[in-house]
Amino acid sequence: MSAISSREAVLGRIRAATRNSATTAEQAAGAYAMLPREYVRRGSMSAEALLKRMAERLREYDAEVVECGPEELGATIAAQLQSSGRHIFVAPPGVPSAWLVPAAWQIHGFEWNIDHGMSAGEIERAEGVVTASFCGVAESGTIVLHHSETEGRRVITLLPDWHLCVLRASQIVETLPEYFDRCKKPPALVTWISGPSATADIEMTRIKGVHGPRFLHVILVNDQGLRN
Amino acid sequence: MSGVAGHPMRPPGEAENRLAGGPVLPPQQAKTRLAGGPVLEQPVLDPALAPPFPKAALPVLRNPQLRKNVAHAIDVIQAKRARLVAEKTDWQALRASASRIKDEALQNLGAYLEQFEERCTAAGGTVHWAADAADARRIILELLREEKAGEVIKIKTMTSAEIQLNPYLEAAGIRTFETDLAEIILQLGEGEPSHIVVPALHVNRSQVREIFARRMGIENLSDEPEALTAAARNYLRQKFLSVPTAISGANFLIAETGSVVVVESEGNGRMCLTLPRTLITLAGIEKVLPRFQDLEVMLQLLARSATGERMNPYTSLWTGVTPGDGPQKFHVVLLDNGRSSILAGKTERQTLRCIRCAACMNSCPVYRQTGGHAYGSVYPGPIGAILTPQLEQMRHAQSLPYASSLCGACYEVCPVKINIPEVLLELRSQVVNQERRQAGRIFDPMYVGLRVANVIFSRAWLFHMAQWMGRIGLRLFTGKDGWIHSLPSVGAKWTETRDLRGLPRQTFHGWWEKNREQGLGNREQKNRD
Repeated sequence: MSAISSREAVLGRIRAATRNSATTAEQAAGAYAMLPREYVRRGSMSAEALLKRMAERLREYDAEVVECGPEELGATIAAQLQSSGRHIFVAPPGVPSAWLVPAAWQIHGFEWNIDHGMSAGEIERAEGVVTASFCGVAESGTIVLHHSETEGRRVITLLPDWHLCVLRASQIVETLPEYFDRCKKPPALVTWISGPSATADIEMTRIKGVHGPRFLHVILVNDQGLRN
Repeated sequence: MSGVAGHPMRPPGEAENRLAGGPVLPPQQAKTRLAGGPVLEQPVLDPALAPPFPKAALPVLRNPQLRKNVAHAIDVIQAKRARLVAEKTDWQALRASASRIKDEALQNLGAYLEQFEERCTAAGGTVHWAADAADARRIILELLREEKAGEVIKIKTMTSAEIQLNPYLEAAGIRTFETDLAEIILQLGEGEPSHIVVPALHVNRSQVREIFARRMGIENLSDEPEALTAAARNYLRQKFLSVPTAISGANFLIAETGSVVVVESEGNGRMCLTLPRTLITLAGIEKVLPRFQDLEVMLQLLARSATGERMNPYTSLWTGVTPGDGPQKFHVVLLDNGRSSILAGKTERQTLRCIRCAACMNSCPVYRQTGGHAYGSVYPGPIGAILTPQLEQMRHAQSLPYASSLCGACYEVCPVKINIPEVLLELRSQVVNQERRQAGRIFDPMYVGLRVANVIFSRAWLFHMAQWMGRIGLRLFTGKDGWIHSLPSVGAKWTETRDLRGLPRQTFHGWWEKNREQGLGNREQKNRD
């Protein structure tokens, strides 16, 4: 079947099968608006409890979690890099220079690569990656990346085996619908990350780390002055 | 390409065999020996060639190890799912919304697909339409030829298995590399998927070890899942970094934005979606959701139902082509292949709500006993029992609507509220009508039997006589233990798989005739007390 006739054939069969259907998606907007949405769309936890829940759920996925205040962020990042035992790191071009702790790099012999269109081969050399994030969903321990200038291209959060991700308390929501509320318009790229890569394909035994990063470290930045 | 038009991978002999209406034989009666296991008949997952369900179920029913593997896997998932569903206070509200969102998408499917096409194209993607499997295979092959691709990496996609893409591409000289761990096990072990989420759940660790050691050439490979997973990681790493073309399926298409969503665990999906130069996504037309926000419902339901996790490790969404990030050429192939005819049926349409979570098969008492291969399709379990015959437009797989006890467990767990028992009954009636219309049915033993029964059951004296004759006749076959273990001719169909209780010496009717007086006397006695 030729390309055009396949399109017409499929759409023709669909139209024949759906009597009284809308011609355009805009025409269907009225029916769409009537759809029931009785599920929980707002969380009820306090900001303190939210931070705690996020940390809890991340740890359940075998992610490492550390908390710090905004002024301690640079030092916390440096400490994480140091204790990782890794030396070659990559970061997106938009991360604040305060995160880079230049002195520390020199002292500990770290190699720091800023991603200005690095090739996959170059990224593959890196042992770790440091990025910001767009949102955290506490209920499911999910980190959402929109791959902005601070969150990095998709490939840099994928190839390195160790991902250090910075999440601010003000970015954490309780439920998934609240994340969608925070998207002013739908983003073009999203990655929802819930723990390190995993599989249970062999006898349902959960194995951490298949192709994505095997280690996910999250720094929760208490930027709201919350008491622990 | 050799072979029959529309089914290039099928040897001509079998196609003729099928057309003649004779008994359909599997492509090869190949037997494979898995390490430590018995010789297995190679399962046939082409509905046009697969034996009927009761026959296809026998290899598993006779293999205790295989049944143990299947039961273990689904027990683990079921327990996790139950725990996580119980903690969601709004589970039923989510199900209600999800089923209505999918219904809305299906009712206005043409409009939403055209919107998806427009937005995806505007974002730099190319949308192709495939009327059937042959159409989709041809489109994909042409795209790969344009790319001069000799190899292609793949994310697990049931739709590609549905259209039998891999054998077609291999026959055209393009090597396919499955990248999901379970799919690697099956591809290297030349096995077939038996579950839509955990396709290799019937294979145990020692069998995986044997397959990997042999096909990856690794000596001294341990059978620890960690070691096996690491072997798969190493095996694929270079492929991810070097093969410039990938094929994926889609969990959702978003009409509002022209985006595509893939849900996964291992990161092989992200590799295929991010590293290659060219990405081809094959998606059934029913995958479309009206808006981005609809994911807030679907993503809450899918992982909990599928793997018993609050959220799967990775979910990716992309929109056409993003300069500097990921594949710079992106194609979507929208596949009909029988779906529009399912859409036309009032009861049947709900089948297309399915989000492929597999909760129905995990909860199914029949699947638990037979495993997935018995369903003779890449879609096993209750959803397969309704989806496969409909995708085949009721020309094949007619035994599947009967592969159910109608217990309703599948409906109860379905996150999009597909009333599977209702569709099963609808399809059963279609199968019966089909059989009735077939020439020669008038002499079919079952129909003759039913007509005779009709006459006998409507006349008391005939019924008593039949009972009397039956008692005498069956006594010959009744063992000392009071059970009938084997019957000749048509009766063997029953006793092949189960025993039959021998008829008692006396019917209830006869007993009642004798004891009635006494019984009534007793009751009067009782009433007086």
